[in-house]
Amino acid sequence: MTAPSRLRLAIVALIVSVAAASAAPAEIAAPAEIAAPAEIAAPAEIEGYRLDAYQAPVPETLMGRPALSFAEARALFEENILFIDVLPHAPRPEGLAPDAVWLDKPHISIKGAHWLPEVGRGEISAETEGYFKRALARLTDGDLARKMVFFCKRACWMSWNAAKRAQSFGYTHVLWFADGVEGWREADGPMETVTPDP
Amino acid sequence: MPTRRLLLQCALWAPMAARAQTADSEETWKGLKPMFFGDRSIDEAPGYVTLDAPVRAEDAALVPVDVKFLSREKGDRVIAATVIVDENPSPLVTTVTRGRIDPGDFDLSLRLRVNSYSYVRVIAETESGALHMVKAFVKAAGGCSAPASKDPEEARANAGQMRFRSFAAQSRAEAQAMIRHPNYSGMQMDQITRMYTPAWYVTSVRVLQGDEELFSMKNGISLSEDPTIRFSYAANGKPVRIEAKDSQGGEFSQSFASDGGVL
Repeated sequence: MTAPSRLRLAIVALIVSVAAASAAPAEIAAPAEIAAPAEIAAPAEIEGYRLDAYQAPVPETLMGRPALSFAEARALFEENILFIDVLPHAPRPEGLAPDAVWLDKPHISIKGAHWLPEVGRGEISAETEGYFKRALARLTDGDLARKMVFFCKRACWMSWNAAKRAQSFGYTHVLWFADGVEGWREADGPMETVTPDP
Repeated sequence: MPTRRLLLQCALWAPMAARAQTADSEETWKGLKPMFFGDRSIDEAPGYVTLDAPVRAEDAALVPVDVKFLSREKGDRVIAATVIVDENPSPLVTTVTRGRIDPGDFDLSLRLRVNSYSYVRVIAETESGALHMVKAFVKAAGGCSAPASKDPEEARANAGQMRFRSFAAQSRAEAQAMIRHPNYSGMQMDQITRMYTPAWYVTSVRVLQGDEELFSMKNGISLSEDPTIRFSYAANGKPVRIEAKDSQGGEFSQSFASDGGVL
């Protein structure tokens, strides 16, 4: 009963994916069942990168510089400063049966943000590192002093990791918006659906 | 590694708000339903199938669910059931089809992956072709991307090994089939290469008693590592045969004595 023809599946998938793009985002919302991040003592900065358990209380600073408040981030947004979203994104898996349903839900982020998935993990492949370096070089026109703001979800170490990694590449004006997409949305910052940068 | 698992559950994109969780899942289901069932109508009439799932799962990569095909005095018995997790990027867990339709209950338990807070739903199809649904909301996250519990070489070396166990000695008319297989979802990071491990999973399972098929399954990537299925079973002296195929063309089978012993 549940083996509709591949053609039909493909057609329906197409229709649904178009419909889904305009549907309410199935976004991950703010923590309601755990204490708000402000109520948890912020941990100190760490050596190197956070390797796992990324969604957890984060430090107040990145390399000693305090995370941006919403007002600060919003002001930078109005100046058209580069915003970089590092939410990870699993593509349709290699090896998944061609007729298996795979839903790539739209990711709604800060308007105009560039989405560079996977670059905020604790350890990244040489391929991902190359992708990150190339993307930053392109987005900054090779200007190491260009301002950039990293974010992902609220209280997520991936944005902290990515920002720190960008500094290790030599970028000198790296900022961090720790409240992430949730903080931006709650403050009614402009948002739009984004797709990963190539 | 229970500690690591626990950390990961906290780590991965857990939708943590009470707000609109179930509404989001229902919205997703609206989009999914036509992909699996076209324009066929699905109701939530009781008396056909039940679903038992934890409200909050300890391990999002191993969420136990029990599906019961209910006995039907007035006929129109359930012949198949599709298990779906709305919020998994690949939502199909399995479609289970009974090989033999007898008047009694038929229970089936399995373990599945839950990627973010979601309804798990079971859509039962009856002899007349009607569809009846039950659902349960499960709070678990990260189950599709949680690292495998075994290293890749060990998993590959043992893939396709099977176990069969009867619980008759515990006075329960049940048995359990276990198939060793990493059942990679394709969403798990390889701990060495730091790339996504390609999907490699058990796509079909058949369990036979003698020549008679008890049930069969068509699976997606949302079934847990080492697929383990517990099902209603009454030994009748005939051997039990488990057959499985995987997404890389692997074919596995093994026969067991009626009471679960080695043949």
